[in-house]
Amino acid sequence: MRTEVLERNRGGMWPWLGQRVTAVLVLVTIMVHLVLTHYINIGQLSFDNIADRLAGGAVLINDIVLLVAVVYHGLNGLRMVVLDWGLSNVAGRRVFDVVLWLVGIATIVYGIWALWAWVS
Amino acid sequence: MSAKERDTANVGAGLWKGIGMWAWVLFRVSGLVLVAYLFVHIWVISQGRSGGPGELDKLFETFDKPFWVVLDFMLVSAVMYHSLNGVRIVLMDFGVGIKQHKAVFWVCMVVAAAALSLFAWKASGLIF
Repeated sequence: MRTEVLERNRGGMWPWLGQRVTAVLVLVTIMVHLVLTHYINIGQLSFDNIADRLAGGAVLINDIVLLVAVVYHGLNGLRMVVLDWGLSNVAGRRVFDVVLWLVGIATIVYGIWALWAWVS
Repeated sequence: MSAKERDTANVGAGLWKGIGMWAWVLFRVSGLVLVAYLFVHIWVISQGRSGGPGELDKLFETFDKPFWVVLDFMLVSAVMYHSLNGVRIVLMDFGVGIKQHKAVFWVCMVVAAAALSLFAWKASGLIF
């Protein structure tokens, strides 16, 4: 059991913790997101339908938290898959980490820019 | 990397061979599918800003067609499986249900199946 806990940390302690924290954040916010878009409003999605929901502010905050957490969780998950597959080269890992951070930040900025269609 | 190292490098596999291994494989596959979807989804929503409301509404109309509703069902399946198996992993990280992990897995899967069934029922109106 102890070896498993240690083995799981191979990607680094902070990414491991970050993955758990974002998992819980995504779980809560994606349920709100899914129930609203895929359950209650299924078949009725449109620009105006989204505008009604985001106008209150609470759903907008939910979606921004979801965006940030899910981008981190998804890209760190991708990183774990690649590390398990075998990226033993230290310099290669550094470059890969930097690329993932840049892609992640760009995605979050683009996502918030897209959401602002309903804010401004 | 030796075979032995590989066995313990993933969550649960050392505890539970067989179903545990498939649970892990499916967790990774669904995770990769969801990352790919994430980028597509952000692009689609951004059409509301770059192309305007009309452009986004055209996409939504397409997504209500049966083929896309089936894809949506597969997406919700991936989300539900990944979420509920993830709940099990987080619980195990907190030391909850380690001895009863098989039961926890099946309870999680029943919850996932129930949520998926509810979606299928809501979405069926778009197909039939």
